[in-house]
Amino acid sequence: MNNTHLAPPLIDIVKVSKVYPPNIMALNDISLTIGRGEMVFLTGASGAGKTTLLKLLCFLEYPTKGLIEQDQKDISQLSSIDLQLMRQQIGVAYQDFKLLSKHTVYQNIALAMEVRYENPTKIKKRVMELLNDLGLSDKIHIATNKLSRGEQQRVCLARACANRPALILADEPTGNLDTESTDKVMTLLNKLHKSGTTLLIATHDSTIYRDTDHRIINIENGKLQEILKVKLDF
Amino acid sequence: MQYISFVMGQLARNAKHGWTAQIMTLFTVMLSVLIFSFFFLVYTNMQKAASRLCNELRLVVYLESEVPTNFRTEFQKKITNFEEVEDIVFVSREDAFARLKKQLGNDSDVLAGLDPSFLPYSVEIYPTRNLKSLARIKEFSDYLGGLPGAIKVQYGQEWIERFGYFVSLLRIIVVLTGALLILTSVFMVSHTIRLTLESRQEELEILRFLGATDSYIRGPVIIEGFLLGLLGALSGVTALSFLYQWIKIRFSGPGFMNLFELSFLPGSTIFIILSMSLLLCTSGSMISIRKYLKL
Repeated sequence: MNNTHLAPPLIDIVKVSKVYPPNIMALNDISLTIGRGEMVFLTGASGAGKTTLLKLLCFLEYPTKGLIEQDQKDISQLSSIDLQLMRQQIGVAYQDFKLLSKHTVYQNIALAMEVRYENPTKIKKRVMELLNDLGLSDKIHIATNKLSRGEQQRVCLARACANRPALILADEPTGNLDTESTDKVMTLLNKLHKSGTTLLIATHDSTIYRDTDHRIINIENGKLQEILKVKLDF
Repeated sequence: MQYISFVMGQLARNAKHGWTAQIMTLFTVMLSVLIFSFFFLVYTNMQKAASRLCNELRLVVYLESEVPTNFRTEFQKKITNFEEVEDIVFVSREDAFARLKKQLGNDSDVLAGLDPSFLPYSVEIYPTRNLKSLARIKEFSDYLGGLPGAIKVQYGQEWIERFGYFVSLLRIIVVLTGALLILTSVFMVSHTIRLTLESRQEELEILRFLGATDSYIRGPVIIEGFLLGLLGALSGVTALSFLYQWIKIRFSGPGFMNLFELSFLPGSTIFIILSMSLLLCTSGSMISIRKYLKL
């Protein structure tokens, strides 16, 4: 949250609505600004619109109305190649993981770096580091369909973090984890935050934001209703 | 370099997950190339045989009277109006008599006291040495028979005519098999690659979410099509070469096949077959991947 008031914001959402057919209002006229290097928790009940908001931010869907700017670029105006390159700058930990079930843990994580044509040695080093941080070193050559949901969730998060992206969007990153694994995940996310990564974490799990200094935004019925806690570092 | 290593990695992964479909495609391409090139091989050998036959072939048109020198050009023009020919020779009664005498050799005495006037005037026509001429020999002969002053047209044996029909039929078979096999190859390759892509749809979606560029997704698929075309065509040509060797050994010695002096396809033709196969298979894979780039 450092320098959020000085540097241009990384994400600027202006009066955005998202309506699914026939007439389901998932997001209703929301506005939100997230600064570079900020860590924001997005809370709210199931179906409140958290996942929809994340989908809009990683270009899986487009708003029905309103403007979304990322890195000062209107995402609706991005060309196909710009969109592809922009996606490489965002790490997404999906709620449904979106892992390749027949591929190994290593292959799944490496894929995020491979699409950027990273050096194989660098890929190997980074994947090992992430697996070590998340306690999955012994699962490296196991197909992801052989893992528990908690392990799959950590693999998904590792893939999101692999490129040290500018922005990480995490949808319920601790939803299936025990306390020990939750700690490991949060340690990794905090480490990334300290290195300057912007994080938007959608969660039900109050234990991960209970004592936080970061912004917590609540979403209810498609509206950003209240900011529970704001602590600015000047 | 980095790109090539990733493409190779992707290819290896695709081969691991969809090897049965790929083997089937490879087999189809191989068979297509083998069938087409076999017919083409037969056709080219027939063409050579026809060319050898054409060396011996001439049509003789017997005439009521000699064609006057000033009308010969017009007469020649009438002949070439129907078809280009190698040569046209006007034979006078004297020339014919001299030839006959020469042919009879020691028995030429039988002609003693005879006047060349019992022999008819004639025109000898040497068709161009190609299959087309051979195939149209009957038609050509009929045309010549209709020329002013023509009494009779004589040429080779009846089997030349049949041979002409046979090579015409063979040419149609080559063209048809070529067209059908081209369609089959394109369909099979694009279908197999489409099936492979269908089975990889989830992976392609995830690649898109991770920011994979079009070239990252397209590259391995196109190279896969290229390799299927290359390996399939090479296997097809190799199989043809074995088949050719077998036929040569099996039918060597005195007999019908000796008339033909079999020869294999020239390097340039093999190169064209390989290039066509590569082009078709690569196009097939490009057609298939287009849909998935819109994800």
